[in-house]
Amino acid sequence: MLTYISRRALYSIPVILIATFLSFWAVRSTFDPTAKVRVSRTGARAAEQIRVRLHLHDSIFEQYGYWLGDAVQGDLGDSERTHEAVGTMMTRAFGNTLQLIGWGVLISALIAVALGVYSATHQYSKLDYTFTGLSFVGLAMPAFWFGLIAIQWLAVWPKETFNLNDPIFYSVGLHSGDQSGMFNLDYVRHLVLPVLTLTVLTIAEWSRFQRASMLDVMSADYIRTARAKGVPRRSVVIRHGLRNALIPLVTVVALDVGALFGGAIITESIFSIDGMGRLFIDSINAGDVQVLTAWVVVTAVFIVAFNLLADVLYGVLDPRIRLS
Amino acid sequence: MIRNRRSLVALIALFAIGAAACGSSSGSSGGGGSVPTGGTLVLGAEQEPDCADWISSCGGSSWGVYTIQEHTMPRVFNYAKKNGVWTEVPNVLVTKMPTAKTVGGKQVVTYDLNPKAVWSDGQPITATDFKYTWDQIATGKDIYDTTGYDKIESVDDSKPTQPVVTFKEPYASWKGLFGGGLYGIFPSHILQGKDRDAEMKDGYSWSGGPWIAKWAKGSQVTLTPNPKWYGDKPHLDKVIFKFLADTAAEFQAFKSGEVAAIYPQPQPEVIAAVKGSTSGANSYFTADTGNSEALWLNNASAPLDSLKVRQAIAYSIDRDAMIKSLFGGLGVTKASQSLNAPILSKYSDSSGFVVYKPNPAKVKSLLEGDGYTKASDGFYAKAGKRLSLTMRTTTGNKRRILTEQILQEQLKKSGIELKLDNQSAGDLFGTSLPNGDYQVALYAQTLTAIDPGLCTIMCSTNIPSDANGNSGQNWTRSNVPGLDKQLETVDSSIVEPTRITASKKGDVLMGDAVVSLPFDPMPNILLWSKKIVGPVNDDPIFSMFINIDQWGLKK
Repeated sequence: MLTYISRRALYSIPVILIATFLSFWAVRSTFDPTAKVRVSRTGARAAEQIRVRLHLHDSIFEQYGYWLGDAVQGDLGDSERTHEAVGTMMTRAFGNTLQLIGWGVLISALIAVALGVYSATHQYSKLDYTFTGLSFVGLAMPAFWFGLIAIQWLAVWPKETFNLNDPIFYSVGLHSGDQSGMFNLDYVRHLVLPVLTLTVLTIAEWSRFQRASMLDVMSADYIRTARAKGVPRRSVVIRHGLRNALIPLVTVVALDVGALFGGAIITESIFSIDGMGRLFIDSINAGDVQVLTAWVVVTAVFIVAFNLLADVLYGVLDPRIRLS
Repeated sequence: MIRNRRSLVALIALFAIGAAACGSSSGSSGGGGSVPTGGTLVLGAEQEPDCADWISSCGGSSWGVYTIQEHTMPRVFNYAKKNGVWTEVPNVLVTKMPTAKTVGGKQVVTYDLNPKAVWSDGQPITATDFKYTWDQIATGKDIYDTTGYDKIESVDDSKPTQPVVTFKEPYASWKGLFGGGLYGIFPSHILQGKDRDAEMKDGYSWSGGPWIAKWAKGSQVTLTPNPKWYGDKPHLDKVIFKFLADTAAEFQAFKSGEVAAIYPQPQPEVIAAVKGSTSGANSYFTADTGNSEALWLNNASAPLDSLKVRQAIAYSIDRDAMIKSLFGGLGVTKASQSLNAPILSKYSDSSGFVVYKPNPAKVKSLLEGDGYTKASDGFYAKAGKRLSLTMRTTTGNKRRILTEQILQEQLKKSGIELKLDNQSAGDLFGTSLPNGDYQVALYAQTLTAIDPGLCTIMCSTNIPSDANGNSGQNWTRSNVPGLDKQLETVDSSIVEPTRITASKKGDVLMGDAVVSLPFDPMPNILLWSKKIVGPVNDDPIFSMFINIDQWGLKK
């Protein structure tokens, strides 16, 4: 197992190098870091200072080399937009997105598995049809629309209808005022709406996967055998059925987590959460190459790590799968 | 870019309009009387500042000024409306209006500081702070704009409470310096000998204003009263500015009561949403702003190098109808008639531009007089070449894109083709406009001080050239005979009537030459909860949040 993980980690290095170079090259060729200062009266002097600082007189390969040399020593540089250390910005955004994704994935997975299992074991029942219908609605709803509707229904409407002092659920950020921490009511009240927005699509998608996978497994011979042997239904469904039916879902979840990590842009914008998605948008609008390149590295590592995790989990869920 | 000093290029003066009177109001300012003390007020901020080193290239965000800078940096002037005209009034930092006089061809300005003025650590605010501020802006690295400070010859700090600033030559816009505009005064005793940018860029704990700011990046700015503040004490215990990135979510947050006031930009969806947000809340809209949005024409690019073509364009566009459709919901129905911003109306003469109303006969006569004939496709052409223009504005700005589409239709009716090629703000302001790589552009200039001064963007000496290191800001490349003299007088004379006369003459010359075409004042929109007690009004330079120290919360 350890050898497998090490080998996969080594394989990912060229992937990350290529991804960062392409990102570096694309951003450098698209954005002019001196643009914003050239409009001032002293722009020519300021622009030259920037060119020297960012080695813009050198070739793109040399510029990338300078960046890479600093990056491997832990220095990701300073943002051209904010002058802040890129490492600090990434840490802050990563932490916020991780909270959103973490809770979102956990809740989505639990609900999706429960719905999928119920639908599969009660195929063509009224509730199965209901869950199926709702999942199609969930798949069809754009996050930006659902987010705003959720705010209207769960924050604005109750506050206006019941003349409350504060909304039941908040729609701005992850904490109020000077509050902090993850284990308090204020945090939960801030988390409900963005997590709901983030999870509505994933629950819909994952529950369909889980239902289909569970139906496949439940019609397998070994399940029929287990039932014939008199194994209790609960045990058949959970121990024999669910465990095997989870394998396809694990792949989907692992891939989706990577995508969600950089793709929670809409949710983070609507709920004013300073996460990776918002950082990406702000940086690309400003052509902030230092941040964008670091963003690609972090996201690539995250995606590679989750793909690896999916492979490892296959082995845990199905001992017949050997990682070598 | 709207409301961003970057696009503005530090014109410490500018723009205005004759028309566009004050917009409609359904709430106006809140009540005066006794203001309750205590409580925490949460406000919405549309953008998070990039950094808090206000004078560096990263510090150009207007929202940085609204949320931190104006509450923590000492400044010489405030702004107030007197007899319907916005003007500078001395801030509590000084004991009286500073005096400016010309001595031996040089201008000398003397400030008398309030002896009670101190920083949040109790150290006095002195002439040395003025000297340090000048030194940092005029000679520092990565400074965004040195305008005005580069004209200072010396700052005499021998008397701690009486800085004396000597300019190399008369400089009429001196009131825009030392916190009169958007740059405040820096504490020399804290920053001297240190890397100012490193000390300030992520926020700072000192203050020379009524509040001390704490910036939680990505989330909010928290203001708490400065215990050493020498003016009237703030009523509130705490003010929090929450950063709200999404316009629709900003309104929802206001409606849900999560933020008690917002100051949104006038985008179409905002104007539509304003009506839905104002039940149970106060609102105020005004066209008396420091903004001037215009159709900027590249006078050096064919076919716009022809006066007749520029006039034909001006006679093709129904600006009033366009403004009514864009801002009618806010009560703004008339187009601007000056490139000066509305708050500089006393320096404006609308007679130059007001003549430009839709007139098909004039368009025909002008274009045919310039050698154009109308082809079978309905467009004018000369020497087999269609009369076609390309227009640029900032991508992602729905209102401007809508404006472009209306313009396309209006010009098409006159036989002029308009193509659209929009760009990011960085590319438009950083590359295309300075390089003259455009024909027609739509964007706004925003004042950083209440002071006229269109020479920066309209004098022929400021056309980007080798002579000015290609950093001149006359991006329209306009060169109107006699205009330089008038606009230079506006910049250099410290005799107010002389400035007003020269500015008005300049306005007429620019109108006659159609150097560009003024559009709208970009109305300011204020929405605030009825929980807020105290005077709530718009300040065209410092926003509605300038006087939050006078606000309170209903118990």
